[in-house]
Amino acid sequence: MDSGERKYKNKEITVYWKPSSCIHASACTNELPEVFNPDERPWVKMEGSNTSKIIDVVDKCPVDALTWKWNDESKNKEVGSEHSNHIKNRRKALLEKDNLDPKQDTAIDIMDDGPFVVNGGFLLERENGSRSKFSGTVSLCRCGASKLKPFCDGSHRSINFKSK
Amino acid sequence: MEGKKNIPVITIIKDGPLKVSGDFTLLKENRFPLESGSEVWLCRCGKSSRKPFCDGSHKK
Repeated sequence: MDSGERKYKNKEITVYWKPSSCIHASACTNELPEVFNPDERPWVKMEGSNTSKIIDVVDKCPVDALTWKWNDESKNKEVGSEHSNHIKNRRKALLEKDNLDPKQDTAIDIMDDGPFVVNGGFLLERENGSRSKFSGTVSLCRCGASKLKPFCDGSHRSINFKSK
Repeated sequence: MEGKKNIPVITIIKDGPLKVSGDFTLLKENRFPLESGSEVWLCRCGKSSRKPFCDGSHKK
């Protein structure tokens, strides 16, 4: 993260702090000073209270300075709009960036009506058993029409490939 | 650093699917993890009725 952004975790949730957004409305420091105390470092102490209280207070932040997510990613799917400051509702980009540690994880993105987009390192093993190493972003055909198989050449558009 | 994670291997099965093994995360279009890997078979013929996974339709 850049620009002084921080994240704080307990066993269940991660709280994100984005200082550039803070308007000092003080909802957090007034309601839960055991956790949010700007006079201390770190100023967020997750052990100061329980998860449900922290969520309540983070949801009261009027901007996206404080946001949160469940560490158990499957639970993030269930979160609705009542949790105004869940990252899904405030900072959707964090869902993309932060679920994955780019140094550790290789992600295969399944594009609607398009290819598999592999982000991160992997070995590609060809039909003849030879292996080559890839890193960065590589798109692999899943429509069956590419002339550059196994790679995507954009043919899914010309055949109007529908993945659903 | 090295060795903690198994680099994923994507194997191209001749006239068949992609076999993915190792440590990886499969993400649906909404970017939620669909599956975190050990091994999956991904359709690359476009015909599977259980996309993104292979259901053997390429043989038909």
